[in-house]
Amino acid sequence: MKSAPFSYVRPESLADALGVLESSAGGARVLAGGQSLVPMLQMRLMQVDTLIDINRLPGLDDVRADGPETVFGPLVRHTMLESLPLVSERLPLLQSAIRYVGDPQIRNRGTIGGSLAQADPTGEIPLACLALDAVVVAQSVSGSRRIAIGDLLVGSYATALEPEEMITEVRVPPAAHHFAFLERNRKHNDFAVINVAIVGCRDSDGRWSSLRIALGGVNDRPVLAVEAASLLEGTMLEEEAVAEAAQLALEVVDPPSDIRASAEYRRHLVPIYVRRALTKLRDDHERPDV
Amino acid sequence: MSDRISVTLVVNGREYRRDVEPRMHLADFLRQELGLTGTHIGCEQGVCGNCTVLVAGKAVKSCLMFAPQAEGLEVTTVESLAGFDEELHPLQEAFKDAHALQCGYCTPGFLMAISALAAEGRRPTRDELRQELSGVICRCTGYENILTAAERYLSKQRVSEGVDGWGI
Repeated sequence: MKSAPFSYVRPESLADALGVLESSAGGARVLAGGQSLVPMLQMRLMQVDTLIDINRLPGLDDVRADGPETVFGPLVRHTMLESLPLVSERLPLLQSAIRYVGDPQIRNRGTIGGSLAQADPTGEIPLACLALDAVVVAQSVSGSRRIAIGDLLVGSYATALEPEEMITEVRVPPAAHHFAFLERNRKHNDFAVINVAIVGCRDSDGRWSSLRIALGGVNDRPVLAVEAASLLEGTMLEEEAVAEAAQLALEVVDPPSDIRASAEYRRHLVPIYVRRALTKLRDDHERPDV
Repeated sequence: MSDRISVTLVVNGREYRRDVEPRMHLADFLRQELGLTGTHIGCEQGVCGNCTVLVAGKAVKSCLMFAPQAEGLEVTTVESLAGFDEELHPLQEAFKDAHALQCGYCTPGFLMAISALAAEGRRPTRDELRQELSGVICRCTGYENILTAAERYLSKQRVSEGVDGWGI
């Protein structure tokens, strides 16, 4: 199908882009990679008055170290994240999750900012950013504000962004280097039925701390299994502790039933995937944090 | 609301200028405005990959870009492969030799996805190729012969390290 008609603007500067957003009274959408937005327009799941193409705006596709934080421009393409040494050194979880995003063509276009604004409850980028405790900077003509990832993702395909705001940065604090990422799909490249992202620190005795367990596809947004993580604080991820935490993770899920899986099946998978991810975390990381 | 907009771009080395509605996607632009019907449209929602072309050297799904987004960029389509005398390109020869197509509808998508790998100087293993080509769907072949053709072709191409820029 074809998109409904819209006006297309390609602003020369960020200020111009924000000006158009402001004056569009909610009728405009920012076009970044477009790998979710364009299908939604063409399937007529969404109509817009104006598309603001930010792809040519300078300075929005940098990845840089700002002290211990890693800062991503909203236009950083997934393909770029896949191979950047800065990302593999600092945020290996993100790099691992990226390979589950779409396929190579999608990753050549899709962006980190676009993925967060899309807020797909099964999306790998929102999930990884939640596990990594990221913060987005949202800008409008009246100024900018920081939004913690947990506050940004407010529901299925819904964010706390105001219609006149645009994501201009994604800031990720230093992360525990140990991670595990697992995803279940019906078929290759499909949206996830469930995905799990975990980061944590392991000391020289093999005891774990600062665990963050994020679950995708099992609620209207990615969620943190906070109590399951606290239960494992100071443990060596022994089988019994892992099994108990895996059950506890069920408390934060409220899975949807859709074409990919029933709610019942998703609930069934939660403890299994949490257990597998924790086991993988433990077994993959025999060495302590340096 | 939807005024026509001028789009100037270079396709297979030749410059074109057209006035189109902004909502026209690049695949329709290539087929309907330029008559380059080698780019096939399957799903128009970014799933089948049959419309894969190169934009600024990167493999992309041309149904997921609106034509004005390609303003000033270089686009490479399947028409760039065969010579004027209809002599097949080595990649097309590899497809023919390996029986890598049946109905042929998806073939332009695969040819362009593999061309992108060759242009980037990459030579993935067969297993890696499964990932690299996972963005194009074929309903006839079961993929094995496509992988064989890709492997044979890429094994004869220059391998280089690093990628020059991130495209668009």
